[in-house]
Amino acid sequence: MSDQIRIGVFVCDCGSNIAGYVDVKALAEYAKTLPNVVYVKENLYTCSESGINEIKAAIREQSLNRVVVASCTPRTHEPLFRGTCEEAGLNPYLFEMVNIRDQCSWVHMQERESGTNKAKDLIRMGVAKAALLEPQESIKSEMDPNALVMGGGISGMTAALALANRGYQVYLVEKQAQLGGLLLQLDTLGPSGVDAAAFAASQAELVRNHPRIRLMTSTQVKDISGYIGHFKVTTASDGKEEQFGVGVVIVATGAQILKPHGLFGYDGERVITQLELEARFKRGTFSAGNVVMIQCAGARIEERKYCSRICCMVALKNAIQIKETHPGTGVRVLYRDIQAYGTENEEMYRRARELGVIFINYDVNVPPKVHGEKVTVTHQLLGRELDLPADLVVLSTPLIAGEDNEAISKLLRVSLDENKFFLEGHVKLKPLDFATDGVYLCGNAHYPATVREAISQALGAASRASIPLAKGVMTVEPIVSTLVDEDACRGCGLCVALCPYGALEIVRTEKGRKVRVIPVACKGCGVCAATCYQHALSINSYTDRQIAEQISACLESSG
Amino acid sequence: MQYTTDARIIRIMCTGRVDPTMISDAFLKGADGVMVVGCHFGDCHYITGNYQGKIKVGIAARALDYVGLNPKRVFFGQCSSAEGERFVKMVTDFDKDIREIGPLGTGDRLPPPQLHEKIEVAHTALAKEKIRWVVGKFTEFTTKGNKYGERFTEHEMWRTLDTIVMDEVATYEIMRELNRGPVSVKTLSSRLKLPSAHVLKYVLALQRRGFAELAGIEGTSPLYRIARQQVDAA
Ligand SMILES: Cc1cc2nc3c(=O)[nH]c(=O)nc-3n(C[C@H](O)[C@H](O)[C@H](O)COP(=O)(O)OP(=O)(O)OC[C@H]3O[C@@H](n4cnc5c(N)ncnc54)[C@H](O)[C@@H]3O)c2cc1C
Ligand code: SF4
Ligand code: SF4
Repeated sequence: MSDQIRIGVFVCDCGSNIAGYVDVKALAEYAKTLPNVVYVKENLYTCSESGINEIKAAIREQSLNRVVVASCTPRTHEPLFRGTCEEAGLNPYLFEMVNIRDQCSWVHMQERESGTNKAKDLIRMGVAKAALLEPQESIKSEMDPNALVMGGGISGMTAALALANRGYQVYLVEKQAQLGGLLLQLDTLGPSGVDAAAFAASQAELVRNHPRIRLMTSTQVKDISGYIGHFKVTTASDGKEEQFGVGVVIVATGAQILKPHGLFGYDGERVITQLELEARFKRGTFSAGNVVMIQCAGARIEERKYCSRICCMVALKNAIQIKETHPGTGVRVLYRDIQAYGTENEEMYRRARELGVIFINYDVNVPPKVHGEKVTVTHQLLGRELDLPADLVVLSTPLIAGEDNEAISKLLRVSLDENKFFLEGHVKLKPLDFATDGVYLCGNAHYPATVREAISQALGAASRASIPLAKGVMTVEPIVSTLVDEDACRGCGLCVALCPYGALEIVRTEKGRKVRVIPVACKGCGVCAATCYQHALSINSYTDRQIAEQISACLESSG
Repeated sequence: MQYTTDARIIRIMCTGRVDPTMISDAFLKGADGVMVVGCHFGDCHYITGNYQGKIKVGIAARALDYVGLNPKRVFFGQCSSAEGERFVKMVTDFDKDIREIGPLGTGDRLPPPQLHEKIEVAHTALAKEKIRWVVGKFTEFTTKGNKYGERFTEHEMWRTLDTIVMDEVATYEIMRELNRGPVSVKTLSSRLKLPSAHVLKYVLALQRRGFAELAGIEGTSPLYRIARQQVDAA
């Protein structure tokens, strides 16, 4: 590489996503005037194959040694462009991304001129930083060839079996004494009609007999430390602790049923939940002359805004079950919206109507009232109150986030959504991965799911988890701390105590006590560099100088 | 979701990366306001990085406030990547605050040139050991306690830091003056608007550390200057 810095700037239209609101031509012209910039290209879609090829060609033909792409977010596209650089023979860390979509076109839609000026500034800042970038080599480390699966419901069992069948050792930790989760409490499963407990038992049998699954029931995960490839897990069972290491973790801890205390006169006797109804089916103790089911009991309201997804299907299944086994029993379903998505659920809805189930729409502002042997509901079309006979009221209550979710989210450093369900890394790009590497999720832990969905997710999560396991070696981003001035370091340990990942240690060297970075453990948060009074540490690709240059570039005006 | 076009974002991996001097640096280069925005507590992608970030931003804000900057120009905010509207509101409110205060040097306790000089001093102090050591120990002292097992409240830690800021700012300001040529305690006292007794204390401390030396006598007052060699060596 020649000493001279040669920066190529690629400005993306993102179709009309950027070009519709920002003057991309002006940006490209402006970029040409910036120091060290030798080549500028506007692309319709920089991330398309032709855009990528243009970058590669320019790297070779223009001998670029730094690449700046001004387009969308590095969260989704940085890996792609880094890869492009690498394929063209340029170190991937000589790449800098400028986000003129999320930070300009999307948020300044009515301000083309000042939005464009801002984009110019951002590009100038990116170019200033790019000039100072240094090549980095990624860090490699071996993977522990095994997995921890938390939760022994249908999701956890499925994921554990999938990984074990692929040849990996699996620790399956279930806090209850029995495998099966929610399925143990259900009667039959819609839409297939199979016996829920029998199905769970057959899977549990496979799990118990699998040579590569270490089943740990009545066990809690007490602590998890480490990182992808080397998680250190501590479990506790009956006060006995055990420690083992795993390469990846799958969270399949399910959800819990909302107990509707105080809702619609819930008493567990005459007013029960769908789950309690299924228990009566199972025991053969169901009997009623008139059943009223109330949908969205405690769901889609102010304090719990979300739809629990499965309750409409469950109500249809159970209404059909009643009609098929007790044709004389009246069944009325009071609903706000029936969410019978997919062909099979729609078919169940049709079948329920055929069997004489009556569906009555209610308004959230005038909810049904349960009193004595009656339910009063305001009929939306008739516009008046109806009294419905009811010796049994069944509430379709939502699934709510698992009770351990907050504790688990801290243990694994993964996020929860606003309802305390686990939050995937990205809705579309990483639906089964957490943002934290090496941790995956499936089933009700993520969001209420049917068994079929839970199984698909579990197979998917197992498949995602097996990618790093199959590679055997993992590569860590080299955006980590580096001791750039060993002489300056006094080995005081101030930084060591603050590192959230235990990635620093003090070692004896010929020059005395000095800090040492453990690169595979370091996540590059920067706390150490921001703390050291000797300015001995720096973060690759986020050095003090690079940030200072960005600040300078930011505050000199684009003119 | 739309917001002012007057904000520029510098990406860092975690608010924990924020060195207090980055904030003073931005004001030295002419920023009218600095926001540091990261994850919520307990939800930090880097576990505890944001707690450190908050302390770093806190010390920068206090030191800059002490030297005359309007403290509203420094803002520490928290929002998750799913809270776009919260972010927009934060930027919009901050933008409004800054517009009310006006450009740097208006709405602050000093006019532009003097403010700039003072911020330079704060910037130096923020880069040095004294403040950074206590900032680095902040969490340990408030949670586990110091080596004698004494635990401090956050309030006590900030009070201690305020005192250190005062000492450090005075010390580096005096060093800057001594660097400009021999000067008496009395002159220093009037230039820095500090009581002569305080100035004398700082000058003698600098002399003990070998950073200042006697340069002569003017009338009855001793004149001091910087001890170049020692300062360069340190
Ligand atoms: C009333 C009702 C009727 C339903 N009917 C149907 C139907 O007809 N058809 C259908 O497809 N779906 C139905 N479902 C949905 C079905 O129950 C779920 O899809 C399925 O149970 C999801 O499985 P899971 O493994 O994700 O969660 P779960 O079954 O909840 O299993 C989670 C497991 O994790 C364990 N666990 C929790 N926390 C921890 C921890 N910290 N450490 C270790 N282990 C932990 C739990 O003990 C549990 O065993 C119904 C649900 C309800 C409520
Ligand atoms: S890098 Fe800095 S804080 Fe860490 S041990 Fe060395 S001198 Fe101390
Ligand atoms: S950058 Fe963060 S994770 Fe890495 S060594 Fe420093 S403090 Fe630890």
